[in-house]
Amino acid sequence: MNPATQQTWNQANLKANATYQAERRRVTVEPITRLEGHGKIDIFLDDAGDVERAYLQIPELRGFEVFSLGRPAEEMPQITSRICGVCPTAHHMAATKALDDLYQVEPPPAARKIRELVYNTFVLEDHALHVYILGGPDFIVGPQAPPEKRNILGVIEKVGVEVGKRVISMRRRLRELIAYFGGKVIHPVLGLPGGVSKGLKPEDLPQFKELAKDGLDFALFTLQVFEDLVLKNPDYVKLITGDTYTHRTYYMGLVDAQNKVNFYDGLIRVVDATGKEYAKFPARRYRDFIAEHVEPWSYVKFCFLKPIGWHGFEEGPQSSVYAVAPLARLNVAEGMATPQAQKAYEEFFNTLGGKPVHHTLANHWARVVEMIYAAERMVELVNDPEITNTNLRVIPSAKPSVGVGVVEAPRGTLYHHFETDDRGLITKANLIVATQNNAARIAMSVDKAARGLIKKGQVSEGLLNMVEMAFRAYDPCFGCATHSLPGHLPLSVSIYNRERHLLRQLVQS
Amino acid sequence: MNAPAAELAPASAAPAKKVLVLGLGNDILGDDAVGLNIAREIRKRLSASDPMEVRETCEMGLSLLDDIVGFEELVLLDAVQTGRAPPGFVHEFEGAELRVLPSGSPHFLGVGEVLALGRRLGLSVPQRVKIFAVEVQDPFTVTTSMTAPLRQAFPAIVEHIWCATRQLL
Repeated sequence: MNPATQQTWNQANLKANATYQAERRRVTVEPITRLEGHGKIDIFLDDAGDVERAYLQIPELRGFEVFSLGRPAEEMPQITSRICGVCPTAHHMAATKALDDLYQVEPPPAARKIRELVYNTFVLEDHALHVYILGGPDFIVGPQAPPEKRNILGVIEKVGVEVGKRVISMRRRLRELIAYFGGKVIHPVLGLPGGVSKGLKPEDLPQFKELAKDGLDFALFTLQVFEDLVLKNPDYVKLITGDTYTHRTYYMGLVDAQNKVNFYDGLIRVVDATGKEYAKFPARRYRDFIAEHVEPWSYVKFCFLKPIGWHGFEEGPQSSVYAVAPLARLNVAEGMATPQAQKAYEEFFNTLGGKPVHHTLANHWARVVEMIYAAERMVELVNDPEITNTNLRVIPSAKPSVGVGVVEAPRGTLYHHFETDDRGLITKANLIVATQNNAARIAMSVDKAARGLIKKGQVSEGLLNMVEMAFRAYDPCFGCATHSLPGHLPLSVSIYNRERHLLRQLVQS
Repeated sequence: MNAPAAELAPASAAPAKKVLVLGLGNDILGDDAVGLNIAREIRKRLSASDPMEVRETCEMGLSLLDDIVGFEELVLLDAVQTGRAPPGFVHEFEGAELRVLPSGSPHFLGVGEVLALGRRLGLSVPQRVKIFAVEVQDPFTVTTSMTAPLRQAFPAIVEHIWCATRQLL
């Protein structure tokens, strides 16, 4: 390691600790101890050289509420979708639903169906990107493959160039559907309180029908790829079900009236570690169930189940930690609303030993099950006679005050909460994003992986990769932050001794 | 859905221009918008017949493929926070210095990876890439204005990048 870096750190650390000691009643810590970084992990060792605690640092957006104050609520679907370059459609839809709630207006059936069509298209596209490109190196290529193969070209080599072309082409077509309704994918302008801005012309319907059908073929094909390359490999199955990546926590996700997975709408259902329903509530009541815990070492606010109270980064019945995202959604639901997805859902739980599944890495498989549902739902919607109806808007007339909207973003439950004055100008804005919901469990996964790989000061080879796999399964959103580095997203691990002196830095290279 | 559905062609019509100047960033995240802002300034200086085209995108990763296919040369304008240079400092990287596979993170699709993927799939991606990454102070605060040091340095940054970019023609 660079001695200058080490020296700078140690000096700054002494200073920060002195300040902290002097003001220990403060909850916040001087910035130097809250190292900002992109997927930066800090590991603190005890006297014996074993892991005392490992921390994952995720940069957090600042100033969102200040930026929103005084703006017309109708701008929120545009503003929030601009926050993140990864899931603009999820923010757009959550904000649009918050506006429905704010103005107490229910969109007409065709508008609701168009929103749902766009949303399922988005989930299918985003999940495909993760399965093949982001998670692909872990599963399609495999964690034991040589480093030079563990990348997108390794994935292409394994699945073939034709499949690679199919993935890219499918992704493009799905994005074209989103753009048809919302304009630019990145800044959609579809959602309005009480409806949508654009309908589906009957003459354009055939190409959407074809796309939905191809999307379903593609999703089923992806399941086949996953089964062939992952599930037929006993080593992978062992890895998925291994203790390192397993946590017994609560799960949260949206369900429809039949308790089936739904990305767009429904009630929020929470099940405990045995799979029993713990709570079921509408978006408006989210504050009765979710509270945020602050740790001095992180900007991230860790969500927990409020009625239980915060009991630390623990699993088991006393813990209030919960997870969101694909695995959580499958765990909270009693099935999938469409036939092929239901079949895949049953196979998932049969193979992994029944509900709920606590293996974090099973998120990758759950994502494939959800791709099938998203595609089947697209097929249903484009074949629904109402989808081309031109009644697309109910004009709001109620006086605004509070609006809460929820959707299942690909990465998990996303809440938007706005409050306004009588004129509809924002007086308060709060978002709870998926990665925040998952933050406590992600921290536990990183910590557990580190504990298993560092013993008595000895750091196992492959630490970076194994720790990285622990949090990548959640697909945590570094969102906009990843913009700030052209070309690569380095993961760095810093290891400190008992006195908080930096011993070693590992950087992915 | 105006592009041919099943093809890999870019979303817009095939570009006739030689050089693509692509500004990256988020326009409501303070300094993160610097690449977009520079792109806008450069666009103002171009005539319609210029062999250079300027685009802006808030997306990243695989989405870049949609923009870059069909161009011979690519110039990227982005924000970077290395902490090793003052805000406004312009880091320059050439294609060969890019962390292309396999040295980058296997999971984040960076520019090097997108180019490598494009080539592997037989798409006509730019042969040469140059990156101008402006050191920024605060790319995490939601605001439409850049920080003072960056605003101050901005005209000089634009001039520098403009001159460097024109040499590519």
